[in-house]
Amino acid sequence: MNSKEIKELVEFLIEKDIAEFELERGDVKLRVKRGVETHVVAAPIATQIAAPMMSPVAAVAPVAAVPSAAPPQEAAPAAAPEENLHIVKSPIVGTYYEAPSPGSPPFSKVGDTVTAGQILCIVEAMKLMNEIESDVAGEIVKILVSNGQPVEYGQPLFAIRPR
Amino acid sequence: MFKKILIANRGEIALRVICACKELGIKAVAIYSEADRNSLHVRFADEAICIGPPRLSESYLNIPAVISAAEIANVDAIHPGYGLLSENANFAEVCETCGIKFIGPPPDIIRLMGEKEKARAAMKKAGVPILPGSEGVVPSAEEAAEWAGQIGYPVICKASAGGGGRGMRVIRSAEELAPLFNAAQSEAAAAFGNGDLYMEKFVERPRHIEFQVLADAHGNVVSLGERECSIQRRHQKLVEEAPSVMVRPDLRQHIGAILQRTMSDIGYVNAGTVEFLMDEDQNLHFIEMNTRIQVEHPVTEMTTDVDLVKSQIAIAAGERLDVVLHGPVVYRGHAIECRINAEHPEKFTPSAGKIKTFSTPGGTGVRVDTAMYAEGVIPPYYDSLIAKLVVRGKDREEAISRMARALEMFIVEGVYTTIPLHRRIMADPDFRAGNFDTKFMERFLAAKKAEVDAGKP
Repeated sequence: MNSKEIKELVEFLIEKDIAEFELERGDVKLRVKRGVETHVVAAPIATQIAAPMMSPVAAVAPVAAVPSAAPPQEAAPAAAPEENLHIVKSPIVGTYYEAPSPGSPPFSKVGDTVTAGQILCIVEAMKLMNEIESDVAGEIVKILVSNGQPVEYGQPLFAIRPR
Repeated sequence: MFKKILIANRGEIALRVICACKELGIKAVAIYSEADRNSLHVRFADEAICIGPPRLSESYLNIPAVISAAEIANVDAIHPGYGLLSENANFAEVCETCGIKFIGPPPDIIRLMGEKEKARAAMKKAGVPILPGSEGVVPSAEEAAEWAGQIGYPVICKASAGGGGRGMRVIRSAEELAPLFNAAQSEAAAAFGNGDLYMEKFVERPRHIEFQVLADAHGNVVSLGERECSIQRRHQKLVEEAPSVMVRPDLRQHIGAILQRTMSDIGYVNAGTVEFLMDEDQNLHFIEMNTRIQVEHPVTEMTTDVDLVKSQIAIAAGERLDVVLHGPVVYRGHAIECRINAEHPEKFTPSAGKIKTFSTPGGTGVRVDTAMYAEGVIPPYYDSLIAKLVVRGKDREEAISRMARALEMFIVEGVYTTIPLHRRIMADPDFRAGNFDTKFMERFLAAKKAEVDAGKP
């Protein structure tokens, strides 16, 4: 995980008001515990991450050297159940694309209202473009991956507030 | 040399390949199903990609998912391990088409050896001794009798269209041939919709002896000697060893030379195992060839000091055999492997679940290949092999006593294992004397049952 990813993750946790969160991936172990009105001693994260964490995040415990970003990374699926958001997960391994072709408008964006069966994105596998459909009707609250990112089976792609 | 390899497998063999990659400075990419999320092969790989739900067909056997993972991880090569896709010629072809090196022989060779009749014909043509058999279907009992008369009894007839014992009859004399042959034909027709039978010489008490070969892409081939795998239950190997007490150096040399020439002629590349049946007169007959690394490869590694998996990788990367092997193959000592399965040691029912204690033996000459650990969970979706316990001794006697000692010190709690069974095998007088064949386990288990029954009030 790089500092940008960690920053996004932490922002997401704050946005969703998550109190405690732990993630372990390869050599990286990240534990976030949020208190109210506490000030942080930002433990410097070893080696490759330079940016210190921002408040109101409490103890962030970095561990060891961070390997170069291994595709794909995990997002924060733990957040969703607390918000009753429906997570659309990738049914296949491949590369996520937001639009049918480079330069065309994306299939969907945050804030869009979608119907069940509506195409949200493409996951390309072995040169085949697989259209990924929404399994619920609702509003897209968050897109959890970025254009061109490799995704694995079961990887969370979209957080939808069902109607 | 490759920079990154994807391992298209799971469990202990995936971990084995990861070990080789780490030692060669190659990045290892693991794939896993949702049931294997907490596996050791996932833990120790440099990258890991979830490719599907637990079922094999949707994950490890799902070629598009495997290739897609290889593409997004940008690997140079795929090591298929054993089982799963390792002998799938179609998969090897897809790898080639996608510009990913398949660590194994070319697809055509995989295909050739996968078709038993074609493989037999090719090996026969190359001068490898094969079990005398009818060349194709035997249409009637009369022709069967004529053929059997030439070859000599006992013979066996088998269904062309299928296996599993259906349409199979052992015929020990001319008198019983016609009724047995006709019964087999009817049975085959009923089971497979096709009553065609072919015939083979039948060996009453065969030993299963297989030879390990390595071949590079430049036509060089080396034989690394044999393994004895006669201790089997229902065609599943339980105990393997190298060398075989039945193979003298001159026979080893003789078969080795034939295989070197044959494999070179047919254009074999990478690791392979040629399986033979040894009859009561100590003649070897070709049965089939496995175009992959085998489960029991450690016993060859322990007695020749050759790392077979690293050799596979080096060969696939284009290295010549003399660079891969650093000199002629030298055999030292004796090695035995016991396959430890998560099964009841007497009923053989599979025992899935959570392991509470997992304490592996160590000490001189002991090797444990396993992907299990304490608190690990054995998923119900895959095979029950949880560890391979391999020992090496200066001779067979020491190897047996070392194996008995190591089995005693291998503690697994939480699931049933076949460790107690292996301990009894190591103590068996016939096993210790090297006096056995592929029917050994049948007799062993029957004797055990008789003992138990006799003890009943």
